[in-house]
Amino acid sequence: MVKSYKLSQILSNLLAYIVLTLFAAVMLFPFLFMLFTSFKVPKDTFNYPPRLLPYEAQVIEVEGFEEPLPAYAVEVNGKMEEYVLVEKNIKAGVFADPGDLDNSYTLPLTDATPVLENGEPVMVTVDGEAYPMFDVMVGDETKQLVQTGATSLGAFANPDNLSQVVYQNVRLSTPVESVKFHPENYVDVLELQNMGRALTNTTLITLLVVLGQLVTSVVGGYAFARLRFPGRDSLFVFYLGTIMIPFVVLVIPLYQLMVMVGWVDRLAALIIPWVFTAYGTFLMRQFFVTVPRDIEEAALIDGASRFQILRKIFLPAAAPAIATLATFTFLYAWNSFFWPLVVINTGSSQNHVLTLALNILRGRAADAPNLVLAGAAISIIPPMLLFILGQRFFIESAMSSGVKG
Amino acid sequence: MLGNAFISIDPKTKNLIRVTSVWHIVLAAVALILGIATAAGSVLLELRGVLRIVLIVICIFTAAASGWAVYELWGFRRRGRTISLVVNYLGFILFFVLSLHFLQVFIDIDKLGETFGRGLIALVGVVIGYLISAFGDRFEGKPELSQQYSKVGKWVALISFFVFLLLVGIIPAIATLISRMANPFIFSLVLMTAVFGFFIWTIWREPSAAALKANNAHKEALDGFLFLSPNLLGFLLFFAGPLLFSLYVSFTDWDAFGNKNWVGLQNYAKIFNLNVQPMDSPDMVVTEVLDTTVYDELTRVKLLGKNFMIGAQDKLFWISLRNTLLFGLLAVPLSVIPALLLSNVLNSKIPGMKFFRAVYFLPSIAATVGVSLIWQWLYNAAVGNINYFITVAVNFFNSTFGLALVDPQIRWLSDTKTALIAIVIMAAWQTMGYNTVLFLAGLQNIPKELYEAAVVDGAGTFRKFWNITVPLLAPTTFFVITTSIIQALQMFEQVFVMTNPPGGPNNSTLTVVLYLYQNGFQRFKQGYASATAWVLFLVIFGVTLFQFQRQRNSEAYDI
Repeated sequence: MVKSYKLSQILSNLLAYIVLTLFAAVMLFPFLFMLFTSFKVPKDTFNYPPRLLPYEAQVIEVEGFEEPLPAYAVEVNGKMEEYVLVEKNIKAGVFADPGDLDNSYTLPLTDATPVLENGEPVMVTVDGEAYPMFDVMVGDETKQLVQTGATSLGAFANPDNLSQVVYQNVRLSTPVESVKFHPENYVDVLELQNMGRALTNTTLITLLVVLGQLVTSVVGGYAFARLRFPGRDSLFVFYLGTIMIPFVVLVIPLYQLMVMVGWVDRLAALIIPWVFTAYGTFLMRQFFVTVPRDIEEAALIDGASRFQILRKIFLPAAAPAIATLATFTFLYAWNSFFWPLVVINTGSSQNHVLTLALNILRGRAADAPNLVLAGAAISIIPPMLLFILGQRFFIESAMSSGVKG
Repeated sequence: MLGNAFISIDPKTKNLIRVTSVWHIVLAAVALILGIATAAGSVLLELRGVLRIVLIVICIFTAAASGWAVYELWGFRRRGRTISLVVNYLGFILFFVLSLHFLQVFIDIDKLGETFGRGLIALVGVVIGYLISAFGDRFEGKPELSQQYSKVGKWVALISFFVFLLLVGIIPAIATLISRMANPFIFSLVLMTAVFGFFIWTIWREPSAAALKANNAHKEALDGFLFLSPNLLGFLLFFAGPLLFSLYVSFTDWDAFGNKNWVGLQNYAKIFNLNVQPMDSPDMVVTEVLDTTVYDELTRVKLLGKNFMIGAQDKLFWISLRNTLLFGLLAVPLSVIPALLLSNVLNSKIPGMKFFRAVYFLPSIAATVGVSLIWQWLYNAAVGNINYFITVAVNFFNSTFGLALVDPQIRWLSDTKTALIAIVIMAAWQTMGYNTVLFLAGLQNIPKELYEAAVVDGAGTFRKFWNITVPLLAPTTFFVITTSIIQALQMFEQVFVMTNPPGGPNNSTLTVVLYLYQNGFQRFKQGYASATAWVLFLVIFGVTLFQFQRQRNSEAYDI
């Protein structure tokens, strides 16, 4: 009985892990895709079947050539060897046995000489069609064959011995590829589309919004939680009521306000309206209400001012709540897109934030997904790093609204 | 307490309070004149509509409050202190903000954006300084060592911050500010700020407080107003004010360039203008059924054996509303139900649970724009991973089980049938982990004893889930579903980034917010867009209210 219970426990745990891992893979795959693609060369991103790791065609330095030559896997005498492509677009013909057109060889035209008769090429008619006759070198022997088609070939040579040459179709040959990361994509994308400036702008905005909102929320939350003044409770109900109102209702009048004060296309429009929020005040108030009153009252009797009490007693006690609000605000400020899209001009890039720059990059670098995704990584990685450092606060900021409600 | 009236007031304080009273008389007079002048329309500045009304209201209030303050201060009453401080504080803030505005401090944040990158390194120093001082807290046994650490940390942070200021160019900035202050208009603004500041001081100082018989409750209330004021003023200016204004705009035909006419309910009438006409046969031409100068065909329905054609004056709004509701209807269950199951699996005390929770949470912290770009490539019809996985799976099933499945080769984002579904899947992926974390928090609040009792009674896993977890998790479920719906109804970024043109193909992913954006900021029909926003708000409000009602009815379990 005990044993079977254990077995079923193990089985159910195993099942749980399988389910969890499966979902974890689904959650992580897009990010891995982003990360690896951001290190690829553009050509590799269009490869089918898609590969996760960044591959690049291998090149080999060969004496006598200025540029390194691309390497291909070539079949030589039944063995696969690594040869380099020394010449492309060599005019070639498809030569076939006049008795059996399926038995054909694709060879460079230089290996074939037309068979002439009285200065005119000899034509052979096979299945009602006339083909010119050639003397063709096949291996070591010369054959008389007809040319049925024209194509182009590449010359592949042994990089150690350039005289060993094999001709074959370049497009049908398999290039030798190796995993190679291109971190310089990130440098490129920071220069392109003024992405570097967008990164500093986003950092600046996020920093100021978080700091500003913390200050107004802490001070306002303290007033709501601990100070009695006329109209406090009805004001608080009013605050609460507005939390639910969606931003879309505000976007047009807020835009008009920005026009009025001349903040359209200014960073100020992305910062100052976001410093004052009902939600942050509400969150801090909910926390401050739980702080015991006795220490505060003792301090008041000792003649401490309200500001001193807030700074010396409430602020240290509220560190977790402040960190929670900070992470919440950080994510909101860093990731916001709709408002910047409305209020910042698309044309001039000096006041762009990351999300805006990404949106433009998407159109401008449509043929280089590696760069687009490097840009996406630049916007996604900083919050993730912070998440790894302070996971607790992210999770709490998600839960702070959920459990208490 | 009677003795209070006879407390001797030192002459300096008395004089200061008298001077403040005179100031309030002057203030009231100026405000009155300005208010009347504005109302008569003969002010130097050309003020338009709303601003003018706001100015008149401010003037009347200032005049009335100042007059009242004079009366109360003359009798050395506490209320006089409150009113005087409020008036002078608001005046101080107003002129302070105006000074900053005309000194172009707000606009010059842009210049900080230019130099901020240089200073970032110094900010790292501030963080290091903070870390050093925080590190000192580890030596609780040795207070002097801990103090040393915090001292060093403080200095490092302070010096780094100073370096930061230098690097971002504080010196030229101050020089520019001073040179701008030479302008007489700006100088007078700064001067007025100082004057208001001075009269705050005359009344705020302790001797004046005593002279005006300030008690603890009075001081607490003033502190309360003071502490709330930054938040409240900003909130009124950037939230409550615009909210009211938005309602007003929705009754006009504002075009963002200042041309506006009051049109009453016309915007709303246009949105809701539907026309249902019976048809003789289901394939009649639109022009035969509807007045096409007003209505566009929205859809055809068959009801009780009769055919109807529904036309709408603003067809796109109804399409966008349908798409938005459809999106919510699909995306919410798709992100909530797996989250509920996942959280139950995670809630069993198995090692590694925190790791999985963290992984699931990741998508919700990534910028939606970035995530949309990733998925755009995953959805690529030719070389995208999703189609590749489908192909691999189809081939696998065909070869292993000898089936003849056809590879669907879905053109995800460019097919009208699948574009919305593609976005639903992505949105569900992005919010699922967030919901899981919320559910997990709710689950951890359910007392373990209930499950133990159920096991004793012989309940299996499924019954425990159905009879304990589901009902006791109802408040969390309610919250998750409500917030998910509210979010889904405001969907914008995903569509804007992923579909081309936004809302396409053929309007199959046009959402209400996207339609609002196009109307308000591309066609500049801001009055109409505002009306759309309010309709969307009513829809959201209705859904939430409906949810609340259901929640209340089903709230049988209460711990």
